[in-house]
Amino acid sequence: MKLVTFVSDYKINVDTLDRLKPEKLGIVLVENGVYHATTKENGNPSSLLNHSADYYVLLNDLETRGLTADDVIDSKVKVIGFGDIVDLIFNDYDKTAWL
Amino acid sequence: MATTKLGFIIQRPGYKSENQKLALTHAIASQSVEIYLDDDDEVICDVAFTGDGVLNCIKDQKALENYDLSSTESHIKMGLLCDLNILVCKEDLEKFGLSKSDIVIDAEEFGADVEVKVVPFEEINKMMDDVNHLLFF
Repeated sequence: MKLVTFVSDYKINVDTLDRLKPEKLGIVLVENGVYHATTKENGNPSSLLNHSADYYVLLNDLETRGLTADDVIDSKVKVIGFGDIVDLIFNDYDKTAWL
Repeated sequence: MATTKLGFIIQRPGYKSENQKLALTHAIASQSVEIYLDDDDEVICDVAFTGDGVLNCIKDQKALENYDLSSTESHIKMGLLCDLNILVCKEDLEKFGLSKSDIVIDAEEFGADVEVKVVPFEEINKMMDDVNHLLFF
């Protein structure tokens, strides 16, 4: 399964993401999920970035929260727009999940 | 003369829900209830951002440009315009590597006289102790 997962919260109370084992995993950080890409707590980046996955963050949701592409702390997280999300869903992944 | 003090505590990030804007809107609205009160009565509101809620205070939010939404930043500025006492937890800002220069501090463009205060949690605790009613968002 090629799965793209949208993470829309900063604090996630479920461990679904840890238990998923798709052949290819994409994680798109949207809404308050964008803080995973920009925020360190007590100097530590989010553990959500430790998965073996392709990471993306939505620029519109960064900007909405007063953040920019320059605030993304890990270069493995690619900053994308809505059009790119459509391309990912239609071209690169079979299924989508929303956490 | 009776003074009722309200304390609004915002502890979650914004936009995913309307909670933080509701808190600010309620606090702002409380300043317009005087017409329903007896002459000597008043309502005073304090607003405090704690925990992940301090992320609401990051400046230069472009919610209007991206989603045609009023930003939490503009709500905070409206609160300042209404002379609300707005506090931001210093320790929680530092936890995220943020400082006073990263957040909304004033609303000079609207003519507000008061500023957001970055304070230790101890001071927010004191505020919570002082108010008659606490509302958590």
